[in-house]
Amino acid sequence: MSDKVSLSLTINGAQHALTVAPERTLLDVLREELRMTGTRRGCDAGDCGACTVLVDGLPMLSCLSLPARLGGRDIRTIEGVESGGELHPVQRALVQHGAVQCGFCMSGIVLAAKALLARNPSPTLDEVRHALGSNVCRCSGYARVVEAIASVGGRP
Amino acid sequence: MRYAEPETVEEGLALLSTHDDARCLAGGASLVSRMNAGQVAPAMLVSLHRIDELATTTESAEGLWLGAMSIHRAVATEARLRGAMEVVRSAASQLAHPAIRNMATLGGSLCLADPKTELPAALVAASARVEVAGPAGRRSLPVEQLLVGAFQTSLGKGELLTRVFLPRGLGGAVGHHLRFSRVSADYPTVSVSLVLAMDGETCSHARVVLGSCGPVPLHVDAADAVLVGSRLEARDVAEAGRLLVQASAPLDDVRGSAEYRRMLIPRLLGRALSQARELAHV
Amino acid sequence: MSHDAKPKPVPVPVGEVVGQSVPKPDAREKVTGRALYTDDLVLPGMLHGALLGSPHPHARILAYDTSRAKALPGVRAVLTAEDLPPVDIGPVIKDQPLLARGKVRYAGEPVAAVAAVDLPTARRALELIDIRYEVLPAALDVDAALRPDAPVIHAPRGEGHPNVATHIRLVEGEPDKVWARCDAIIEDVYETPAQQHVYLEPCTTLAAVDPDTGRITIHTSTQTAFRVQAITAEALAVPMSRIRVQVPRVGGAFGGKVESTNQPITVALAKAAGAPVRLTFSRTDDMRMMRSRHGARIYMRTGATRDGRILARQVRIHYDTGAYADDGPFVAAIGSYFSRGPYRIPHVDVECWSVYTNKLRAGAFRGFGNPQVHFASEIQVDRLAEALGMDPIELRLRNALETGEKWLGGAPVESGTLRACLEKAREVSDWHRRRERPSTTSPGKRRGLGIAAVGHVSALLGSSATVRLNEDGTVNVSTGAVDTGQGSDTALAQVAAGALGLSLEQINFSRPDTDTSPYDWCTGGTRTTFTVGHVITEACEQVREQLFEHASAILERPVKQLELRPGGVVGVRGEPGLSTTFGAISGYALYVAGGPIIASSRWLFPAWQLDTRRTKVEGLPSMGNGFFVFAAQVAEVEVDEVTGKVDVLEAWCVHDVGRALNPAAAAGQVQGGFVQGLGYALTEELVWKDGHLVNPSMSGYKVPGALDVPVAIHPVLLERAFGPGPFGAKGVAEVGVVGAAPAIINAIRHATGARLNQIPATGERVLRALLAHEAPATKDG
Ligand SMILES: Cc1cc2nc3c(=O)[nH]c(=O)nc-3n(C[C@H](O)[C@H](O)[C@H](O)COP(=O)(O)OP(=O)(O)OC[C@H]3O[C@@H](n4cnc5c(N)ncnc54)[C@H](O)[C@@H]3O)c2cc1C
Ligand code: FES
Ligand code: FES
Repeated sequence: MSDKVSLSLTINGAQHALTVAPERTLLDVLREELRMTGTRRGCDAGDCGACTVLVDGLPMLSCLSLPARLGGRDIRTIEGVESGGELHPVQRALVQHGAVQCGFCMSGIVLAAKALLARNPSPTLDEVRHALGSNVCRCSGYARVVEAIASVGGRP
Repeated sequence: MRYAEPETVEEGLALLSTHDDARCLAGGASLVSRMNAGQVAPAMLVSLHRIDELATTTESAEGLWLGAMSIHRAVATEARLRGAMEVVRSAASQLAHPAIRNMATLGGSLCLADPKTELPAALVAASARVEVAGPAGRRSLPVEQLLVGAFQTSLGKGELLTRVFLPRGLGGAVGHHLRFSRVSADYPTVSVSLVLAMDGETCSHARVVLGSCGPVPLHVDAADAVLVGSRLEARDVAEAGRLLVQASAPLDDVRGSAEYRRMLIPRLLGRALSQARELAHV
Repeated sequence: MSHDAKPKPVPVPVGEVVGQSVPKPDAREKVTGRALYTDDLVLPGMLHGALLGSPHPHARILAYDTSRAKALPGVRAVLTAEDLPPVDIGPVIKDQPLLARGKVRYAGEPVAAVAAVDLPTARRALELIDIRYEVLPAALDVDAALRPDAPVIHAPRGEGHPNVATHIRLVEGEPDKVWARCDAIIEDVYETPAQQHVYLEPCTTLAAVDPDTGRITIHTSTQTAFRVQAITAEALAVPMSRIRVQVPRVGGAFGGKVESTNQPITVALAKAAGAPVRLTFSRTDDMRMMRSRHGARIYMRTGATRDGRILARQVRIHYDTGAYADDGPFVAAIGSYFSRGPYRIPHVDVECWSVYTNKLRAGAFRGFGNPQVHFASEIQVDRLAEALGMDPIELRLRNALETGEKWLGGAPVESGTLRACLEKAREVSDWHRRRERPSTTSPGKRRGLGIAAVGHVSALLGSSATVRLNEDGTVNVSTGAVDTGQGSDTALAQVAAGALGLSLEQINFSRPDTDTSPYDWCTGGTRTTFTVGHVITEACEQVREQLFEHASAILERPVKQLELRPGGVVGVRGEPGLSTTFGAISGYALYVAGGPIIASSRWLFPAWQLDTRRTKVEGLPSMGNGFFVFAAQVAEVEVDEVTGKVDVLEAWCVHDVGRALNPAAAAGQVQGGFVQGLGYALTEELVWKDGHLVNPSMSGYKVPGALDVPVAIHPVLLERAFGPGPFGAKGVAEVGVVGAAPAIINAIRHATGARLNQIPATGERVLRALLAHEAPATKDG
């Protein structure tokens, strides 16, 4: 039987004290222990980006992250993107551009885009495409998604 | 499964020696992926992320020491990696996809020793050395001597990789990495890492290393020798390519048959050389 | 000059809602992460399920020993075929057990199922199940399966080779006699891969059995609540009335979720364990256990006269349906039916086989057998154009079916807009200029432009809808249709709004639930907007009649003077001041006279009986056909001569959508379909070695990412409103995928001269084709 580790995670600014088996991934913990199901599981292997979270502002894959190592770091999930009940501009743009289809990729895409816009407020279409390099969307063909994100920074 | 977070290399070594089946955890990208798939279940995980020494970069007159826990993103944005050392920066900035580059590490890449990956080849091209700490103290060895087979290193039981040394290399040399993959977010089918110096139109130094063309990065002295002193004309590239193909034992998988990879070797070599040459001239 | 028929008048929507790119109401919960998919749901005491896959492609099961698995703490149920009713399921041929019974027919086929307190325990239990097999020789491809002495995969069902699941023959005219009259004949063999859906959400089901009533509730990711209900009932020998299916958000489907996925086995686990069970596949289990598009090998021969009239075509199609027929017979039917292409070819001979092999089953996938035959046909037509020295678009225009002409088999083309699509594609892609002077590019790269014409079908089978007026004048619309992300809920709500002159806020569109929703067959076959939209407009029309009847009493004017006004108002024509609201009418109906206002409508798309005087028909399984729709797709590519890698730089997708109910949603379908077609053309392929899947992961099997596709995929929506779809709308969902691959392959040919008859056009295949083309020894091409 596995040993359990006790840890404290800072998720969307709130502290969570947990005791988990060390091999449980951050994705397991978010979805199953904390019931924050907005972070999706598409592959469990680093190939789809549906499980993207931000750690200290950088997109990372929660399916490949062991929470034991993330104590003290700032973890942001899709549940922490809105502020004061307002959609983040990138969320609004995706809705307005009709970029959302099944939506399973959207949590990851919103976070990847948010991280991009935080360091590059006015990205080109190409910069947006590169920033989405980890995120598969099987429905949209990407065009509207990329255009929606670029529109936030004022580029067409 | 047990889990520990040592704060020094020595503590780490002590923990590794407590379990037969103890494993270092670096970025976790590959290890956790394999754990999720049920392919490995180490009895003990020793996470290296609290060991400051492993995350430190130091500069000396001869070159740069990069800590084993440097993530790819940090390597990719390390401005001091110029000239010949640029080959490593170039590889780190292109490989995999952004989220992996934010997680996976230099040391993890080396110790995984996956023939599909790119940093091992880039490090061989950069003539890198690695420092290994073990129960018997520390030793340093050329990176080629660390990588002994597909998914196999020469690390002994209870040893861990602490840092990587990149020599500055020849003045005027440029480093360049070219990856070719089915789609952008894929392991390369073939990658070419090289360090090149030109004297006018003549090649004065070349070190070419290929990824995915054998169990370990493929480096053939004779191929470099063909290029050095030549004007890198088509037949020189073809001859160097021929020698590399001859020495290769390419992977044969969904990313490409071994034969396709053999076809790609001289072709991508030509492209990588001309790209590097342009860099050398700016 | 255009030969479009004068469109029959189609109903005109009231108000502004139809035709607007209104944001989808579910988009917000999807970008905030609050949308609930099946795997997000938890019930008290819920267990986790997992399936054990067969290690062999073909083997007899000799004995099971599940005792060690059952003894593992935390394990609540272990099932094998011995614990299930001896039922085989399948939409056409009943050949699939829920868990392999007697033998396994593909590597990865589920042989045992476990429910345990958590997933790690369930997975550990799977490793403790011992099954003894006797390995049988396997038939790993169509050729091997069709040999006279091939291993027999299913008990023979009649005459013919036992491994042939379906055999179809369609002959029109006298093809044998006209070849001699053709001035150019092209003949080739084309191969297409087993593409996989790779919906981002793996298949998942949460099932619970009420201990008091025995009633079964299923939450699942599916394209069809009603088929899931029917299949589960059949598989477990339970009356349908005991099963309730509800569909949370669905994370993509594309045909992969039209038949049952893991619903019946999850219910069986829940029954056996006496607790709710959630079974969510890992990506790898989903890839090795579910289904793919049919790989195909197509022999095709087409002949034309010097002036570009296509006279004759012969087609031999082999679809690899894998170990189970699944939707294979329908796929074969559509493939046969579309193999003449959207062209007027008087002499045609089509023969099609769907063949069992010891591989993963193939089933429905966006396009349904049509992408395969379009691939062959559209490449062949390009070669024919070359042989005749004609422009590819010109040759297509000369042979394009027009309104009033007949499809293969005799069904009438009611709105023949292929010509309009081709002409528009020629214009928007600047075809002539780009064909003659491909834009310059960097050394080692070459650019080219290619086109494909597309004919597809929308509609199919039955749907129903209920529309009910609420007391405040708003409206509830219920259908059984599942929105798998394509936006049908929004478009259908817009249809209801347009039919009654309401705003979207005044429409409540309910989610599918077999207990309360009217029947709908399935979200598939480009049918939902068309067919369900049709029944919604019909039901709304009945509601309007009821409204007018009461309004006539309230306003004291005859019904024929009444009109709908935007915002839920019935007014009197010519008397702007005289009107009453839906709310007032509803109150009148509820409390004064008539009773609640409600209407329902139902429809089965009328199946076209093939005209057997015109066409010789053998073996075509009966199925409803549908309404023909047309498109033209143009792609510009850049080919890397060093590696053979192909990049698509720009694409123009011209689709006649009849009426764009929600242009942004339709454009999204067009673009998404094109990119799935791009993956089909360039990278996507399940690969087997010795009967085992080599790449059941998103690392081994590569779908395109944002960096692999252009942003410049231009959707061009033509609106030739016609037919029984809502306000003349035609289906579009599948069409985008159909022509992408041949357009891309034709562009590669234009760029380099290299000929490819096989997809995906991987770097390796393209490089070899380039070298073969350049080799001085080759004479043709
Ligand atoms: C989805 C995905 C895609 C990828 N694509 C590419 C690609 O395109 N190109 C490419 O080059 N690479 C690619 N990689 C590999 C990646 O770059 C890293 O090489 C890999 O993830 C290992 O780094 P890590 O830090 O995550 O190591 P871990 O996963 O943490 O460790 C890997 C192995 O090394 C051992 N180890 C780690 N550090 C040490 C140490 N200091 N001393 C001793 N042993 C140690 C661990 O015990 C483990 O066995 C990909 C990885 C993933 C998961
Ligand atoms: S679930 Fe983490 S990358 Fe797919
Ligand atoms: S919207 Fe379905 S995967 Fe992106």
